[in-house]
Amino acid sequence: MIAENQSLKDLQMQMLAWLQVHDKTIKSSVTGTEKVPADIRLDIYANAYRYRLIEALEETFPAVNTLLGDEAFFKLGLGYVDAHPSQHFSIRYFGQHLSYFLASDKSYREQPVLSEMAHFEWLLREAFDAAGDQRLTLEILQQIAPENWPALQFSFHPSVYRIDLSYNVPQLWQAIEHQQEPIDIVAQEYPQAWFIWRRELKTYYRSMDVDEAWAMDAMLKGENFALICAGVCEWVDEQNAAMRVAGFIQNWLSEGILSSIKPRKIS
Amino acid sequence: MTNLSNQNKYPYLGFGLGLRKEHYQDVLDSQPAVDWFEVLTENYLIDGGKPLYFLNRIAERYPVVMHGVSMNIGNTEPLDKDYLSRLKKLKNSINAHWLSDHLCWTGTNGTNAHDLLPLPYTQESINHVVQRIEQVQDFLGCRMLIENVSSYISYVQSEMPEWEFLNEIAQRADCLLLLDINNIYVSAVNHEFDPLNYLQAINPQRVQQFHLAGHSDYGDYIIDTHDEPVCRAVWELYAQAVARFGETTFMIERDANIPPLAELLDELSLARSIAAIVQQQGYHKDTIQVMLDSIPVQKVIPTEQEKMAI
Repeated sequence: MIAENQSLKDLQMQMLAWLQVHDKTIKSSVTGTEKVPADIRLDIYANAYRYRLIEALEETFPAVNTLLGDEAFFKLGLGYVDAHPSQHFSIRYFGQHLSYFLASDKSYREQPVLSEMAHFEWLLREAFDAAGDQRLTLEILQQIAPENWPALQFSFHPSVYRIDLSYNVPQLWQAIEHQQEPIDIVAQEYPQAWFIWRRELKTYYRSMDVDEAWAMDAMLKGENFALICAGVCEWVDEQNAAMRVAGFIQNWLSEGILSSIKPRKIS
Repeated sequence: MTNLSNQNKYPYLGFGLGLRKEHYQDVLDSQPAVDWFEVLTENYLIDGGKPLYFLNRIAERYPVVMHGVSMNIGNTEPLDKDYLSRLKKLKNSINAHWLSDHLCWTGTNGTNAHDLLPLPYTQESINHVVQRIEQVQDFLGCRMLIENVSSYISYVQSEMPEWEFLNEIAQRADCLLLLDINNIYVSAVNHEFDPLNYLQAINPQRVQQFHLAGHSDYGDYIIDTHDEPVCRAVWELYAQAVARFGETTFMIERDANIPPLAELLDELSLARSIAAIVQQQGYHKDTIQVMLDSIPVQKVIPTEQEKMAI
């Protein structure tokens, strides 16, 4: 059975094929004028398709753009538009696969700093408009009886994102963002742990020692205080582990990245 | 089918501006004399952060209306229910007076082209779009507005002019129209028709809102770029639209090359003056010409590189 809107469907598929792969089938359905032939008219749409999407990448990835230069970034955009057509109703999400594309495409995978920078910039974007949530306060934690601490689980604010970086990506990003003197790209001896978060309307990021990063990852997975203290013994003496983890928690409270505890009523 | 009288339209909101992030703080600090703000729906279909913070505060102080680009009303795939749910939630949370989207398609086959692609003006398209607008209106529980888009191509399949297409859809779907005066002008130049014929043909009972915007004139054709002030020819057409449709909620769209708020407020003042004169005295070309003497006739001769960058 032919659908009632079959010819409209066919026409739309032809137009999409024109935009994406320059398939000229649509041309037979388009009228031109003496002043403006059909080819020019169709080119307006084909150009707009790519330029609009690349413009969205420029907005989300200014530091990747700076690292590559405008011409190379535009070329990257063309490749990415073809490899990952937008599938979301909002153009805000168009760049979500750019880091993956840079890590896997043969033209870019030899420069892993690009993929890392794209990942970092994407997470800044994610933190920027993540959901708001309540902030856990010290007063709430102080009400918890000591015997209830071992089973305690913590939830982070929805804007918290973890990332491990093998290059000095945040430093590069900062120099680019603040239009400072360009700095060298430096590969770290070991990947450095970072996290990104938003407090009120401002986005922040900072590095972490390896045990703090491990504790945060474990908490993000839902592990309880006792297990995290046991895990931190990998880096500190057993008698100091609880104090060390409590110190992390204190920092996170002051940074506003913890939102709730489970079980809620254990005082 | 319903015959709407003016009582069936939404209340008149006056002269508004598109809310843009560059002006968030300025709007809150200076509380400018703007009657209402139109917000770009998709910018706020997010979970939190700065855009929603400012939107909520501005919506507490000003009437707001939502204007979307992603309903994809002309697409031949099923409507995106997740999108519609988010739309409804946002509309309720900011108490938007109404919402609009474009009479076009923006993607198909799972791909979003993020462009306002024209439909062929056929009975098949009308039947298709009418039932989709009905679905949306049933889901949202309110009438929506559909906007005429600027276009650069016409299809050989088209069976009628754009204004007939628009009228019939509005009538059969029982929706309202957001008439973009700039888009009428742009399409008139691109497709070589008289924009006044368009205005005269549109059913006034369906017209809820006007849009005005700037464009880029490349000589043989015009691109709807929203990055320039409204040009003289579009102001002239606006005066004719006021004569035809009377008091109509109005706003100016600026999406790129965003100027200071004060510059847009000047444009808004001009719109108020034109509307007042035309409503008091009727449309007199000479009077309007004098009012527009300060507005430059705009023509951009693009370099090849700029042409590519459209």
